[in-house]
Amino acid sequence: MELQSIFIILCAVCVIIAIIILDAMNSPSKYFVYDKDNRRHRMLRKGIIAFVSLVVFVLIWWNLSLLLDNPAIPTPQTTWEALVFLFQNGDSISGMTMWGHMSISLERFFAGLLIALAIAVPFGLLLGYSDTLKEFSSPTLEALRPIAPIAWAPIFLFTVGYTWGPILVVFVGIFFPVLTNTMFGVKKIDPNWVDAAKTLGATKVQTFVKVMLPAAVPYIMNGLRIGMGVGWMCIVASELYASFGGGVGYFISIQAQMGYWPNVYAGIVIIAILGILTTSLADYLHKVITRRMGIE
Amino acid sequence: MSEKIVINHLRKVYKTDEQETVALEDFSLEIQKGELISIVGPSGCGKTTLLRLIAGLMEPSSGEVSIGGKKCTGPGPDRGMVFQEFALFPWRSVRKNVEFGLEIAGVPAEQRRKTAERYIRAVGLEGFEDHRVHELSGGMKQRVGIARALVTKPDVLLMDEPFGALDAQTRNIMQGELLRIVEKTDTTILFVTHSVDEAVYLSDRIVVLTKRPASIKDIVDIGIPRPRDRASPEFIRLRKQILTELEDENVRPAVHAEALNGGK
Repeated sequence: MELQSIFIILCAVCVIIAIIILDAMNSPSKYFVYDKDNRRHRMLRKGIIAFVSLVVFVLIWWNLSLLLDNPAIPTPQTTWEALVFLFQNGDSISGMTMWGHMSISLERFFAGLLIALAIAVPFGLLLGYSDTLKEFSSPTLEALRPIAPIAWAPIFLFTVGYTWGPILVVFVGIFFPVLTNTMFGVKKIDPNWVDAAKTLGATKVQTFVKVMLPAAVPYIMNGLRIGMGVGWMCIVASELYASFGGGVGYFISIQAQMGYWPNVYAGIVIIAILGILTTSLADYLHKVITRRMGIE
Repeated sequence: MSEKIVINHLRKVYKTDEQETVALEDFSLEIQKGELISIVGPSGCGKTTLLRLIAGLMEPSSGEVSIGGKKCTGPGPDRGMVFQEFALFPWRSVRKNVEFGLEIAGVPAEQRRKTAERYIRAVGLEGFEDHRVHELSGGMKQRVGIARALVTKPDVLLMDEPFGALDAQTRNIMQGELLRIVEKTDTTILFVTHSVDEAVYLSDRIVVLTKRPASIKDIVDIGIPRPRDRASPEFIRLRKQILTELEDENVRPAVHAEALNGGK
């Protein structure tokens, strides 16, 4: 009980310190004047908030784990030790280090992503271009879209096996957001651009390639950004469901079956970190490419 | 290169489920090579429709446009178009925007570059070749728009309120620039505008349209030698004449307005 009270007090102190710092930044003082037009100041402020937020989160977790005293809720400390051990020595069941599981999951993720892009982008462009094709495809697509991608996992695993199954689940997850955004992008094109191209002598194919495709790129990127978030959930979920030969989801699943809870939490931490990395990668790509295209 | 443009009994009817609206009624006009003709008319009378019909972006209900005796079907690089909202491709640099028409025509890269540079110079944008569209001011954007339309050497340049989105000062500068460019390149121009002042300043002839359905009310010859002085008595007289004609159109009671007021 004593430990817990200490943690509760620590939490409260953290929050209070954070509020004091941020408040001091907003009101002019002689030590530090927060200038919101200064990029460094903004980043510093953001950094402090993020750091305090994480510290508070870990403290609450720590506190809860001591309070509930349940083996399925290890402390952050044991989780950290498990994590370090897993990166250095690997786990006893699969014999792989965490690096191995991560690379397998990432491979599957990017394979699914590439296939989804290769199909959804051209298909989305065509759907945006041709109303007839859209009217023809919409009923089917609208029926399939609300289905959670993971619902396909049993079918994919049975039909194409453990290597391609998870990849196809990721494919389904990324396919729809990219498709609808690409289609939307073509529909939203400034009609003046198309008219300008036509009056300069462009044929339908030339207009499609030289105007519609580049004009849709920011929308495609937006679809990719949403799709990467969904895809990352899909890969973990499908690995949890069933897979062989590793992967972070698979790792969590077998560790949970054996009751090695700190290892399960280590896996969850890795998922969180990789998830943040993939979405920031998507955000970064989106920003760079839309800026290059001159469309903000 | 440039040929006489003949517009013959052009007519456009918009059809919806409930009704038919005649937008343009029996529009005929001959444009000589090198002429600058302005079209003015009451707001919403169908000036833009007329220009889009000539550009081939819309199908006329009847009538035709021909250049040098050859009938025009659909849009083509023989009729260049300059848009009010510029309609530049933001993902292309200034140079690449101007090159667009040549790229479409399959002109080799090196020649494309040379030609584009000549036109970029003609509109006074040398030094800005590699700039992005969003880095340019409104007036500069429209210079790019003009260069892009001229690069395919069109028989006629169709300009749809090209300076309408610019502030008054830039507008005056661009009017002067346009005359300079026209002189240099010997282009035929059909120019739609709201501004009577602009029309009198620029044009050889002004076509005044009636209210919707638009038809020709009057064609005014502007005989004033260039450069024109906006304060000269002749300029003011012509401006007033055309303004009066337009006002007459605006006061003329619309048929459907009467029907609304006169009960069901």
